Amino acid sequence: MSANDVGYVRRKPRRDAWVVGCYIVIGVFLLFVLVPVLTVLVNSFKTPSAIFTSTPQLTFTPTIANYAKVFGELNFLQYLVNSLFVGVGSTALSLVLGVPFAYALARLPIRGREWWARIILFSRMVPAVALVVPMFVLFQQLQLTGSYAALILAHTTFNLPIVIWMMRSFFEELPPELEEAALVDGASRFGAFWRIAVPLASPGMAATAVLCLIFSWNEFLFALVLSGQDTQTVPVGVSSFIGSVSIDWGGSSAAAIVAIIPIFILGLAAQRFLVRGLTFGGVKG
Amino acid sequence: MTAQNTQWDRGGRRLGRAMIALPALILALLIFGPLIYSIVLSLYKWQLTDINSGKPFVGFANYVHLFTDPQVLNAVGNTLIYVVGSVGTELILGFVIASALFEMTKGRKLANSLILLPMIIAPVITALIWRYMLDPQFGLVAQVLSVFGFKGGISFFGTSQLALPSLILVDVWQWTPFVILILHAGMLGISEEQFEAARIDGAGRWRILRSIVLPGIAPQILLVLLFRTMDTYRIFDTVFVLTRGGPGTSTETIGLYTYQTGFSFFDMGYAMTLGVFILITVAIISSFYIRLLRRREVFQ
Repeated sequence: MSANDVGYVRRKPRRDAWVVGCYIVIGVFLLFVLVPVLTVLVNSFKTPSAIFTSTPQLTFTPTIANYAKVFGELNFLQYLVNSLFVGVGSTALSLVLGVPFAYALARLPIRGREWWARIILFSRMVPAVALVVPMFVLFQQLQLTGSYAALILAHTTFNLPIVIWMMRSFFEELPPELEEAALVDGASRFGAFWRIAVPLASPGMAATAVLCLIFSWNEFLFALVLSGQDTQTVPVGVSSFIGSVSIDWGGSSAAAIVAIIPIFILGLAAQRFLVRGLTFGGVKG
Repeated sequence: MTAQNTQWDRGGRRLGRAMIALPALILALLIFGPLIYSIVLSLYKWQLTDINSGKPFVGFANYVHLFTDPQVLNAVGNTLIYVVGSVGTELILGFVIASALFEMTKGRKLANSLILLPMIIAPVITALIWRYMLDPQFGLVAQVLSVFGFKGGISFFGTSQLALPSLILVDVWQWTPFVILILHAGMLGISEEQFEAARIDGAGRWRILRSIVLPGIAPQILLVLLFRTMDTYRIFDTVFVLTRGGPGTSTETIGLYTYQTGFSFFDMGYAMTLGVFILITVAIISSFYIRLLRRREVFQ
């Protein structure tokens, strides 16, 4: 049997019952995934009389009143701005601190490399609920609670380990020859890092930044405990809609859609690295 | 080794120390500082609402309380049901879907992108979505049931027998995609020769799934177990938004109980004790998994 035959066997499309079954399984699962989101999307364009029915209403006159309300009386823009501040702040801080650390772990002759890696891995495992109680008390004493700084620092506790771990794997994947050549040409070790390694690793850095933004955007517990009236993020705002006595279906559905759209776009952009970030580099994917 | 080489190494060591110092300090201040603080404070009785009583040192009284507190037992029990129910379902369902995805020749990329959606949505928004899906009167599930003649109006989150399974359903919806993506990535990593050899030996599909795919993705299965166990064990967001632990205490998880002890009852000493308890149990479970993973050369 020649190599070509093997290739042919491999590529031969198999359209039997098994494969058809696989497509059906995927189709059913996609319905399970998409229908809840689509229901909320549809509800966000409905008037209350079209939402509160005992049978599903598929035909209705769409309205944008809910979206007007989200940015009007629900003041959702404030939550979006707060989430953006906290997300960008924590991402920037984590990158500034984490990228050099990651480079040192990947490339430089440092002592206790193994221990540092273990400590970073452990920091990822620390549960937020174990941190949030002492952090609340300490930030209270520093008069930081309610400020953007409190939330940015809190979100850095999970974003910094992610940056270090991900960027370490990106730096390790770079061919070391380029940095070595720069050293031979008289560059300092820092020059090799700053002018060679960082630009080469910038796609990985962008993906890491996107992941940090997503994690920060979605985080709830720290935001609930440490935010003040003016610094509440999107999840805190949404949770207060659900908790209110007369729950506004149309308005909160529109708010949910507004909160999902930016994160879905970012998620698609970083799709290739999403699994790596979520598994702390355990799956290169 | 040339003289120049050792000079570079000295420079590298110095730069390495400089690059590690500040982030290590920040990590120490942000993570290890609060953790040590909570270990110390867990030895004190500290009722935040009672200004007159101060902060008396009580030794291990909070820990004695923890091991005799029936609410802790209830919360740990609920949490374990939640962990086993969610992770078990996600792993089985995830394996089935990933295997199906692996057989697809067309549309795999699109399916992958769509499957991604739940896991990047904030858990709070996921809770809102399912609050509406499962609403006893106007939820899609109730509406569809009523079309088929069931007009009972089941209150999924308001019935103590149904609330915890409903929360598990929400977790399964949000996190099965994560399991699928990881297991699928693992399957793509198995070499084509192995499948080819099995096919030439006349192995059928079940046989290939069992003897090649399953052992081939063993590291990914471990990884899924690690992350899903850790994240379900400390579940908070969806429980807080959907049930607040109710009805009664039927969905009270250990994370929610810790939060309520601290921020509803303001018993800070005991809340920190509960936090230390969660930290220690998480450390034990995760180090067990990580040891297994290191044996398979993940997390080197």
